[in-house]
Amino acid sequence: MNARVIPPMADRVCPLVERRPLGGAYALLTFEHPEAARAEAGQFAMIQPAHHADVTLRRPFSIMDTDPDRGRFSIFLKAIGTGSRSVFDLRIGETARVLGPLGHGFSDPAKGERVFLVGGGYGVAPFALFSHRLKTAAAKFHLFYGGRSASELPLIEELERRGIPLTLSTDDGTRGEPGRVTGPLLKALDGESGDARLYACGPEPMMHAVAKIAEERNVPCEVSLDPWMGCGLGTCLGCVVKIQEPDGSKPKNRPACTEGPVFDSRRVVWSHR
Amino acid sequence: MSAAPSLKIDVAGLRLRNPFLAASGTCGYGVEIAGAVDLSTLGGIVTKGLYMSPRDGCEVPRIAETPSGLLNAIGLQGVGIRAFVEKVLPELRRHDTAVVVNVCGETVEEYAEVSKIASDAEGVHALEINISCPNVKTGGIAFGTDPVMTHDVVSAIRRVTKLPVIPKLSPNVTDITVFARACEDAGADAISCVNTFLGLAIDIESRKPKLAFGTGGLSGPAIRPIAVRMTWQAARAVKIPIIGIGGIACAADAIEFFIAGARAVQVGTMNFSRPNVYGEIESGVLDYMTRHGVSTVADLVGTLVYPR
Repeated sequence: MNARVIPPMADRVCPLVERRPLGGAYALLTFEHPEAARAEAGQFAMIQPAHHADVTLRRPFSIMDTDPDRGRFSIFLKAIGTGSRSVFDLRIGETARVLGPLGHGFSDPAKGERVFLVGGGYGVAPFALFSHRLKTAAAKFHLFYGGRSASELPLIEELERRGIPLTLSTDDGTRGEPGRVTGPLLKALDGESGDARLYACGPEPMMHAVAKIAEERNVPCEVSLDPWMGCGLGTCLGCVVKIQEPDGSKPKNRPACTEGPVFDSRRVVWSHR
Repeated sequence: MSAAPSLKIDVAGLRLRNPFLAASGTCGYGVEIAGAVDLSTLGGIVTKGLYMSPRDGCEVPRIAETPSGLLNAIGLQGVGIRAFVEKVLPELRRHDTAVVVNVCGETVEEYAEVSKIASDAEGVHALEINISCPNVKTGGIAFGTDPVMTHDVVSAIRRVTKLPVIPKLSPNVTDITVFARACEDAGADAISCVNTFLGLAIDIESRKPKLAFGTGGLSGPAIRPIAVRMTWQAARAVKIPIIGIGGIACAADAIEFFIAGARAVQVGTMNFSRPNVYGEIESGVLDYMTRHGVSTVADLVGTLVYPR
């Protein structure tokens, strides 16, 4: 895998310049932040409204789009708890404290590898930015976008508009293929004769399932982990994940914010119950 | 008109550019936050707690946000004092800020050994003694909630170092003045007041604690009035200086601690969400000093007008 240069981060109070509701608890938010506007796919930003006394910590959000020329970046957001709701509720012109870009993103596929992207729920966000890079590199790629039901896939039109080759699936069969996202992924892998590479971002059980498929078929796979995060700087150590050492020694707790969030799936010791 | 106010202050022989330090466990080993904040704008940094050996800490979840606060059980994950001295300290020395090493141990002997290694290293300016971590099964808070053990560990460290020795007190005691006096009697140069408050947050769906460790330590603005009260009590009980800690988020918060009796303060939880808050605190305190005709922080310390 090719290591990519990490762009410098900055901590800024910056305005929300665009806000597009996508129905329910979903929205696309665009902020002005020249450094985060240079993020690599898979990197994230820590965000908190500048004037909101009820939220102590910033929350991490994957960067979905960047516009380095205008110094802007966008996130795709689902309002779940107090923190994400406080960001969701921001109005255009209101400001947020944004630290970013942070973490290590996805590495480049090797030449000629067929790329399979697997996005579950709001975990699909970083693949919008990644597909832009893959297109530029003329890589062959396909995105598997799955969720619990049709209402949990609010980005379909947005991804189609970008010409991203898509296969949809829902657990309840209300859109695309019925069942888990791994179903259509397996079918596609069965029809693949050459080298392939997987990238997954979504709920942990989904990423674990994709990692198992990758291991069985001896296909390289990267996963973007999403543990509870406190600071984004590697200081609170709240977001550690168990990572296998290359020398085979006992796995160690590594902060996902600075050493991830993207990891080689073979090194991840899965902990979900 | 008085001269422009100065933030320079001497705390137990530790000469600080300003009285604002980053608290242990909230700034890594200093180098981690250097990309987000200019360390030379801080009075100093207090490292994450260091034992002799590296430690992997608690299982996750380790943090849970609570109203105006943060409950954590990290479990003192760290690289160990030797790796800190060999690998981290050379990089930290390039920054112009005071370095306080937070010393941990499971036994009195380990505390003394860590202290000795830290004292022999170039670029360590003081030792903060962690007798108050609530998130480890042995050591930590056990030493900080028994005045005899507090005395034993502080005097053992006193014997092996010439650096300022600054025990960090636990607030999880009935009378903090007993512990402040035990530290002073054992030869401490100053006192950090206070560590986190033992708390418990419950996930009502699973009926399990929100943290894997079970209980955790509560920090952030939620604890500030209690920490200010304890700082005030400790400051009146001993002659050695107090470093106030507890939910400081802005200049007014820091000033409260000075008035209560702290000679310096540490910013903790706020480092996670606003690592560059120090500039705002500094200018706010300077404004206040100008407005009140106070030329040094020392002139503010312990000036509480308390009802009789």
